[in-house]
Amino acid sequence: MKKRMIPLLFTVLVLVLGGCMGPSEGTTFSRSLLKKPWEEVVKQAKGTDIRLYMWGGDESINRYIDEWAAPRLKKQYGVKLERVPVSDTQDIINKLLTEKQAGKNKGTVDLIWINGENFHTAKEQKLLWGAFADRIPNVKRYVNRETPDIRLDFGEETQGLEVPWGKAQFVFIYDRNKVKNPPKSMAELKEWVRNHPGKFTYPAPPDFTGSAFVRQALFETTGGHKQYVRGMEDERFNRKAEKLWAYLNDLEPYLWREGKTYPESLAKLDQLYANGEVWMTMGYDAARAAGEIRKGRFPESTRTFVLDQGTLSNTHYLSIPFNAPNPAGAMVATHFLLSPDAQLTKMDPDHWGEDMALDPERLSKEDQARLKNMDRGEAILPSDKLAKHRIPEVPASVVNQLEKGWKSHVAKK
Amino acid sequence: MWQRSKPYLLIAPATGAMLLLFVGGLWEGVLQSLGYRPLVGQSRLTLQFYETLLSSADFWRSLGLTLRVSILSTLAGGVLGLMISVCLVMLAGAGPFKHSRFWRHVFQLPLLIPHFVAAYLAVVMMIQTGWIPRLMFALGFLDQPADFPVLVQDRFGWGIVLTYAWKEAPFIAWMLYPVLYRTQEKWWEVARVFGSGRWAYFREILLPLLLPAWMTASFIVFAFTFSAFEVPYLLGVTYPQMLPVWSFEMYTGGDLTKRPAALAVNVLLAGMAVFFGWLAHRTGRRFGLLEGGRWE
Repeated sequence: MKKRMIPLLFTVLVLVLGGCMGPSEGTTFSRSLLKKPWEEVVKQAKGTDIRLYMWGGDESINRYIDEWAAPRLKKQYGVKLERVPVSDTQDIINKLLTEKQAGKNKGTVDLIWINGENFHTAKEQKLLWGAFADRIPNVKRYVNRETPDIRLDFGEETQGLEVPWGKAQFVFIYDRNKVKNPPKSMAELKEWVRNHPGKFTYPAPPDFTGSAFVRQALFETTGGHKQYVRGMEDERFNRKAEKLWAYLNDLEPYLWREGKTYPESLAKLDQLYANGEVWMTMGYDAARAAGEIRKGRFPESTRTFVLDQGTLSNTHYLSIPFNAPNPAGAMVATHFLLSPDAQLTKMDPDHWGEDMALDPERLSKEDQARLKNMDRGEAILPSDKLAKHRIPEVPASVVNQLEKGWKSHVAKK
Repeated sequence: MWQRSKPYLLIAPATGAMLLLFVGGLWEGVLQSLGYRPLVGQSRLTLQFYETLLSSADFWRSLGLTLRVSILSTLAGGVLGLMISVCLVMLAGAGPFKHSRFWRHVFQLPLLIPHFVAAYLAVVMMIQTGWIPRLMFALGFLDQPADFPVLVQDRFGWGIVLTYAWKEAPFIAWMLYPVLYRTQEKWWEVARVFGSGRWAYFREILLPLLLPAWMTASFIVFAFTFSAFEVPYLLGVTYPQMLPVWSFEMYTGGDLTKRPAALAVNVLLAGMAVFFGWLAHRTGRRFGLLEGGRWE
């Protein structure tokens, strides 16, 4: 009898220690930080480490953080930043959700790069720390938080839970040597695809970029984006979307592999483009093509285009999770990443190339001049052209409706 | 007391981790597939997710594809693995055959490569603008690279089967190798005295010895290919998806209400793997395949 007791006891012990600790309230103490003066936050952050969890799939973005931002943050504020790459921001949300479920009040994530559906989930499940945006001096000074494209994250009120970091815009990417007159609308795209069978496709939703392409098509085939900004109930949406499914199904026989299958990810579509198997790819980042040319993956003749009616754009944000071990450090890092220097450097295609979150009019004279003289190369459309062709994102509910509908109306056909 | 309990204590950490991670994970999965999600205020258990799954045509189509691909992969890997192991023994010199070490390393190679790398390699090699089609085009076997058959993201799943066969055959071979290695040279001599040829020696002596290990190894491969995600994700088509891919997509799709269904798929996968394991064991015993030859 006794010899069976020991392993049993041990197992019970392991189980108890490992998994069954009950939840307790513990984050409230760190929220008092939100009331403290900024100097105190900076003082508290000095000499600490923070972990920034972010999508790690882009070499130039990673280098911007590791080689440009982290050393300067350390030097100016004594905060050591460690970048933790994830393949999908969803993974962080899942991790936080699990930690919340398990009642783990001291996590490992200090700062996350987030927007859209993930922000929606995080806000709904109360995975975020608090309304810290007002507390960051550089946000107050340089960010115009009243414009809808910053206040609303895919239609969701940000309520100061996250701080805008940059702006991305959907662009089509093509090879100038193969495509002489890039289409200017979805209707023209359809013509082009019919005339060049097998040379176009898009990543299958729920791939992020593929899903954006389908939204783009939705707006143009059903009369604009405005009707979707507040979400739409299923029945009405399904009636509206019939035109979209018809459009996509008309396209299908002329797609790569006759639309029998779609690339499962943007990476695969890029590979097809790089191999010359298709002649266009796309990206939710106006500077991505330029980066790929520099890496030698895309041909030199690669260019980008937007549609006359505009392409989707969104703002992406930095936020602090509910169980961040070092919120003070995270606040200071946010402040630093929103400084004009950090933002202008980020805009430089040698670093990252994407649009800044700051309001250009609020910048100093010197910074405005620096912005004006920036040469971003031929594969990035000029800032004002991008800005004029920008349409806002729609709520996550529409994204879900689309992804579900695409599967049953397009993929299964 | 100490003497007696020592072995238990020593295995306790491993058992503990197993229980916590494996049994705990399974338990949590079953609970969540029954709709138990206290975080969103749902703590009533329901079978509705299983009902919707089992009554959807998508599920059965995916299951059909999953079964087809994993059975074909197992067969291909199993036959290939058996051939490799026999080759290896021939080359190693136990029995009627010659020596060589080089080949062992060649056959070990796929074991070192993770599955997703193997799948990615398959894409790079076999996609219609990949290395193999271009090489065949350059050598004049094809009029244009696009004449190469569609083996990546094809509806049937050949790309997945080929990748699994390449990846799992060495695994099976290395499960069989120790069994073969124990056969002794003199057995072959004795067999020859009784007038046995090579084929008869293989069929009458080696094969019966190998079958139990072969069945086990093949079943491991089957259970793996039946429920692994990365290869079908990279090489499969948009629709129908193999069950693991479908489940992964539902789980990570951002819509939390789909998670119970995703886990229900996983629980069904696990259940079916157990069922097939039991079936394999039973058939094996019935036909005397699991008893193995006698060594003495």
